Amino acid sequence: MRKSILIFSVFLSFFIGVHAQEKIISGTVTSSGENAMPLPGVNIIVKGKTIGAQTDFDGKYTINASLGDVLEFSYVGLTSVSVTVGTSDVIDVTMEENLEQLEDVVVTALGIQKSRKSLTYAAQDINAEELSKVKQTNPVNSLSGKVSGVVINRSSSGTGGSVKVTLRGNSSLGNNQPLYVVDGVPLSNPTGGQPLETFGDINGGNRDGGDVLSLINPDDIESLTVLKGASASALYGSAGLNGVILITTKKGRSGSFKVDFSSNVIVENAAYYIDLNDEAESNIEDFFDTGVTSITSVSASGGTENAQTYFSYSNTFATGILPTNDLKQHTINIRETAKFFDGVLTVNASVLATTQTIDNRPVSGLYFNPLVGAYNFDSPGEQLSDYRNFEQLDPDRNIQSQRWFRATSDIEQNPYWILNRNANEDTNRKLLASMSLNFKINDWISIQTRGTYDQTFLGYDKEVHATTDATLAPENGRYIFNEQDIRQIYGDIIATINKQFNTISISANVGASTTRNSTEIFNADSGTNGGLQFANVFSIQNFNANPGVAISQSSLEKRVNSLFASTTIGFNEKLFVDLTARNDWSSSLPSNNNSYFYPSVGVTGILSEIFGLGDATFGKVRGSYAEVGNDVPANTVFPERRILFGGGLDPLDPVRPLGEVRPEQQKSFEVGTEWRFWNNRFGFDLGYYNTSTVDQYFQVPVSTGTGSVTVGVNSGDIINQGFEASIFVAPIQTENFKWTANINFAANDNEVKEISNPSDDVQIDNQVISPPGVNTFASYLVEGGSYGDIYAQVVKRDNDGRPVVEGGAIVINDENPDNTIAGLEKVGNANPDFTLGWNNSITFKNISLDFLIDGKFGGETISMTEAIVEGLSNNTQRETSNGSIEVVNLAGDVSTLTAQEYYGLAGGRNGFTGEYVYSATNVRLAEFAVGYNFKLSENSFFRGIKASLIGNNLFFFYKDAPHDPNVSLSTGNALQGVDVLGLPSTRSWGLNVNLSF
Amino acid sequence: MKNTNNIFLSGLMALSLLLSSCTEGLDDIDENPRNISQEQLEVDFQNVGSLYKPIFENIYQYTPAWSYQLQQNLNADVFSGYMTNPRPFVAGANNTTYNLVSGWNNFIWSVPYSNVMNNARTIENETKDKFPELFAISQILKVTAMHRVSDVFGPIVYTKFGESATTSEYDSQEEVYDAFFTDLEEAVQILSNNIDSPRFTAFDLSYGGSYEKWIKYANSLRLRLAIRISKVNPSKAKSEGEKSLNHPVGVFQTNEDSFFVNGTLDHPIKTINNSWGDIRMNASMESILGGYEDPRIESYFNVSGVIEGEHKGIRNGLPLLPGYDDELAQKADYVDFSLLSDQVLTSSVQLMTASEVFFLKAEAALRGWTGAGTAQANYEQGISTSFQQYGLSGSSNYIANSTLTPKDYVDPVTPSNNITALSNITIAWDEGASNEEKLERIITQKWIAIFPEGQEAWSEYRRTGYPKIFPVVSNQSAGVVDTDIQIRRIPFVDSELQTNPDGVADAVIKLGGPDDAGTRLWWDVPGGNF
Repeated sequence: MRKSILIFSVFLSFFIGVHAQEKIISGTVTSSGENAMPLPGVNIIVKGKTIGAQTDFDGKYTINASLGDVLEFSYVGLTSVSVTVGTSDVIDVTMEENLEQLEDVVVTALGIQKSRKSLTYAAQDINAEELSKVKQTNPVNSLSGKVSGVVINRSSSGTGGSVKVTLRGNSSLGNNQPLYVVDGVPLSNPTGGQPLETFGDINGGNRDGGDVLSLINPDDIESLTVLKGASASALYGSAGLNGVILITTKKGRSGSFKVDFSSNVIVENAAYYIDLNDEAESNIEDFFDTGVTSITSVSASGGTENAQTYFSYSNTFATGILPTNDLKQHTINIRETAKFFDGVLTVNASVLATTQTIDNRPVSGLYFNPLVGAYNFDSPGEQLSDYRNFEQLDPDRNIQSQRWFRATSDIEQNPYWILNRNANEDTNRKLLASMSLNFKINDWISIQTRGTYDQTFLGYDKEVHATTDATLAPENGRYIFNEQDIRQIYGDIIATINKQFNTISISANVGASTTRNSTEIFNADSGTNGGLQFANVFSIQNFNANPGVAISQSSLEKRVNSLFASTTIGFNEKLFVDLTARNDWSSSLPSNNNSYFYPSVGVTGILSEIFGLGDATFGKVRGSYAEVGNDVPANTVFPERRILFGGGLDPLDPVRPLGEVRPEQQKSFEVGTEWRFWNNRFGFDLGYYNTSTVDQYFQVPVSTGTGSVTVGVNSGDIINQGFEASIFVAPIQTENFKWTANINFAANDNEVKEISNPSDDVQIDNQVISPPGVNTFASYLVEGGSYGDIYAQVVKRDNDGRPVVEGGAIVINDENPDNTIAGLEKVGNANPDFTLGWNNSITFKNISLDFLIDGKFGGETISMTEAIVEGLSNNTQRETSNGSIEVVNLAGDVSTLTAQEYYGLAGGRNGFTGEYVYSATNVRLAEFAVGYNFKLSENSFFRGIKASLIGNNLFFFYKDAPHDPNVSLSTGNALQGVDVLGLPSTRSWGLNVNLSF
Repeated sequence: MKNTNNIFLSGLMALSLLLSSCTEGLDDIDENPRNISQEQLEVDFQNVGSLYKPIFENIYQYTPAWSYQLQQNLNADVFSGYMTNPRPFVAGANNTTYNLVSGWNNFIWSVPYSNVMNNARTIENETKDKFPELFAISQILKVTAMHRVSDVFGPIVYTKFGESATTSEYDSQEEVYDAFFTDLEEAVQILSNNIDSPRFTAFDLSYGGSYEKWIKYANSLRLRLAIRISKVNPSKAKSEGEKSLNHPVGVFQTNEDSFFVNGTLDHPIKTINNSWGDIRMNASMESILGGYEDPRIESYFNVSGVIEGEHKGIRNGLPLLPGYDDELAQKADYVDFSLLSDQVLTSSVQLMTASEVFFLKAEAALRGWTGAGTAQANYEQGISTSFQQYGLSGSSNYIANSTLTPKDYVDPVTPSNNITALSNITIAWDEGASNEEKLERIITQKWIAIFPEGQEAWSEYRRTGYPKIFPVVSNQSAGVVDTDIQIRRIPFVDSELQTNPDGVADAVIKLGGPDDAGTRLWWDVPGGNF
């Protein structure tokens, strides 16, 4: 604490003003063109003198100058302007865009705009136009291939599903997802839970709880900026540990009233799944529907100089490829900006509200998954469609009971029964209300205070009818009801200083924030044993009053208070030094050790300005080092014992830490360089980073003979290092024909350097990411391995590679004990070695063509689907000569099995999954759009009309796996690199119409 | 300038205010008020009282049923010859074919440790000095739970439980049994000194708070354990057994004395049997009960759906049989064999019966222990007490029958599973028979009487070799387990190998043989019983 005060004092001491003489010139600097805006941060110097100033947030400035002095206005991305001081004390300036400079202003931490050249870390952004070219219901999907170092895995849960975003590799056993920041305020991104095991969750199946991004209207987004490393995000605190995605939303603009309307219709079909025999294939084709998604949005904006409004409404209606799966979503967004007291006070207020209903969101795994029955259907003389009529009257009970061609099992039921009589509904709502006040104290100090109320409600309801398989529901059926109410209240106050001292510019922020999170969970499940009193009545009052039912509430709260400061010091606009410092106090840490401090430092030099480099329009080098501390989840340090509904005390104590809980820590270092040549026809950005995450809070199993089962310890060291490159090239730039291309490359290398601290009592050599359960797939974090290593049961082979089969069973390989955990051997890693995206934009007169080729190279993925459906898949020729396989027994005698016999032995969810390992390398035509921009006459009612045909995930140039490796069963950490009857990935086509008037 | 300085001064003041408020209000947030705090738990002494229920309900685990299925149903309940699974799990490569599934067997270990031992330790800490008789009850329950665990693995963590926060040291099985005897002796003494205290009544799921009954149970349990070590340490066995036989309160006399846990949940096998169709009658049960025309067959099992009016068991250790595409197809044919009857699947879980005690006394008499009475009287009373337990008449005719023997087994679905009966032991007592034959008779009847408690039945089968139950159809142990003498134990569990490798290595030394399913436990001595 004392340390923090000292640091703040040091920061403050920078800002003792320097006074000058002569007269005071003031004025406003704005940008030119239709969307004229005040420009903050414009540098103003008096030519030949050592006097300088900077514009404030409203583009206003004051400077001392004498008659006849020349004021030079400069701003990155704009052409510099020189004005001679005359008799007037007011000089307003309009600055033109300098087409030679590219997208040079970026929004950084805390919503502050910075010139790109002053950044000491890697940031890459993507604008609204790029996002909406091939619209995705979850806008983050659009980042794949367009930003280097962003690995996107879509969830297999169809429309409305969550997305796994990995920036610079995985490091945590907890959250590896980046922080989302909307207009400077951190967004809470609760996920309603993600699957863990291949078998599935008996309490409703392996389901995707969704994420907050699917609740935002992509048309409200002005731009997305990806701050890849921790240095970019130290100021957001711990949540920014894994990088930050900044979302800037659209605001109203003064002057013009504008209405935009856009409509998209997208149709999709199941495209990428395992190869089946003809009969099974026709059943599956018949089973899946054509999905239709329509997204319609309308927005209006306008206002006066002092008050602007933006309003939007959008809706999404989608039906999935899985019959009965559909989504309905409505989003409204209102944003008001107003200035008072002559611009001294600016007030911003916005409200975003979303409701979303999803029927039968697809599950993966084996429980409650209609695909188990759909793929495994095998009834001679019948077709799966014969079972569309999924129930029949059972006269003994006078009830409609399930029809299926054989006895149902825990995992296999009539798929239409599951869809109609084990139906579930997700009901999600989001309310995000925020307000900010900005006081301009003088021309170089302003104070901003903000508050946000962010509420996410996630509801889930599953109605399992009587005659569902008895392992899943008792005789009268089962009802599962879950509600989560997650609230975040965020408040901050930040003083911002922009000051120019001669050739030195200082931009600094000092502030305090508080973040309060609360989570209320209500769960009721009549269970597999407790049951319902009356059949098929789905309400909690119909639960049997016995301890087999589960009813529980949980109520957690966490509060983090923070003080922070940051400053960017520019020397001659050529060299910039960035310093940040933050101290957090978290309620989830022990009260005597709840404070943690973390700094960052960065530097960048604009080589092109320092040296003046021939063909290079722009060139810079940058480097930064950052630390980020992190607390632990709420209720970790001393959790109370649970009470079981009707069952007394939970027999087991909750997991408690073994010793004192310490904050976690991440240290990262990055360097990079950015160059542009030949009037920006060509440019590149190269970066290297190294991140070490230490002292994570692990929950580790201990010998049950200790009295505990699991304890918490701080330990581990996980290292990610990698290289990122993005290349921009504009090979053709004529008036009628333009072609620009971006190439994004990133390679990440992950190393688990340490799991246990050598000094600790608990010596563990692995952490479970995906537990094997009773199936033969697992993922472990192992010392010396990498995050995402996947484990499978591997066949023992002789020296000639022939499988060893003894006594009618395949023998498990035992020759790799160092890489084997509980009988499963390491067979690969779910993460790619490198990613490569090639994004093209071509315009010829009014026609535009955009396409994105997205590639992921390296990594492995297992098709447990294929292993499960082995009997019906079409791989009799695989690894065989004429459909037969030579095998040996332990004595070395060679014999021959048919492929069918061999894979009959190898297949199954708990069989030799090592036989189903594929390379995850794939290259695809990810996005494709052809558009026509109608030329309209000046007096047309419409300002613009654009129509385009879009395609998504159209085909693979290369793919080894039977499924789409870009789809994950979970957007958490588990179940990466495996497909267990996930919903097949789709190919989609759509039509997009934009009207503005 | 002055103005500027004022701004900074007020800024600094604001900051220092902020600093102090940064740490305020952070305490008492980090809790989940829906759970129960230690302070709340101490009301009504629930910090002790509420811990008995989880202990009672996890010796033989009530819920979740799948966890019980792995704790005992897919090992001892099958190995005992009582039941078997109609579905050849893992394509027939599972525990029942000696292709042990370590992921399943973890539960045999983890259920009692994380539900019984931890809570018993808390009770010990809270009550040993203040309310010793509450401590005594928890000790009896602890021995009840842990001798079952030791009888599966051999060495276990017992006397040094909880000594270290990170690792644990195993006792040899001999040390564990010594500790069981010590703990039971101490418990019996404490309860005898406080025999009228009503303090346990509110928490008692077995005896309504009667310490006298608890003493009888502790004595009976001690007799069971004494008989168990009668081959490996006859003198210790005799002295411990005689303590029980000659104790003033004594051992079980009638069915009212038997030890049942009267839980609040369904019997776990009920769900496995009725709802999931995952367990059925074993062929050995059909052979012995059927051969003896034993009326208890109606109390234990339903008639099958495969042969009208007949009880039909399934051979244990079935692989995925030729002709079946998958597990489910095979299950579809076997699921209609005899279910267990709801009569034995009530919410009261049977852990030790009076009839067992008579059979223990019968064996004690054979071994010449003082206070046991005669072998024949105990043997016959064991049978009649078992008949009474199920409200059956005709025990005297049954006891007198000297012609009926176990019958051959016929599998109506897969004839290759047919097998002739392995024994021709009859029911009626033959005083002139050898001790070995007498013991076979005693243990065979004990095996029938203590159904469905597979754990004790499997232990006694291993100790004595009786009754002569059918071997597995498919032995996939790669030579580790001898098909004829059957599985002897279960290897130490994966969770221990991973978290406590040094402890397990030491345990293997204490086991005295390789850590596999063919190694005999300490009390499991090869050769004849006398």
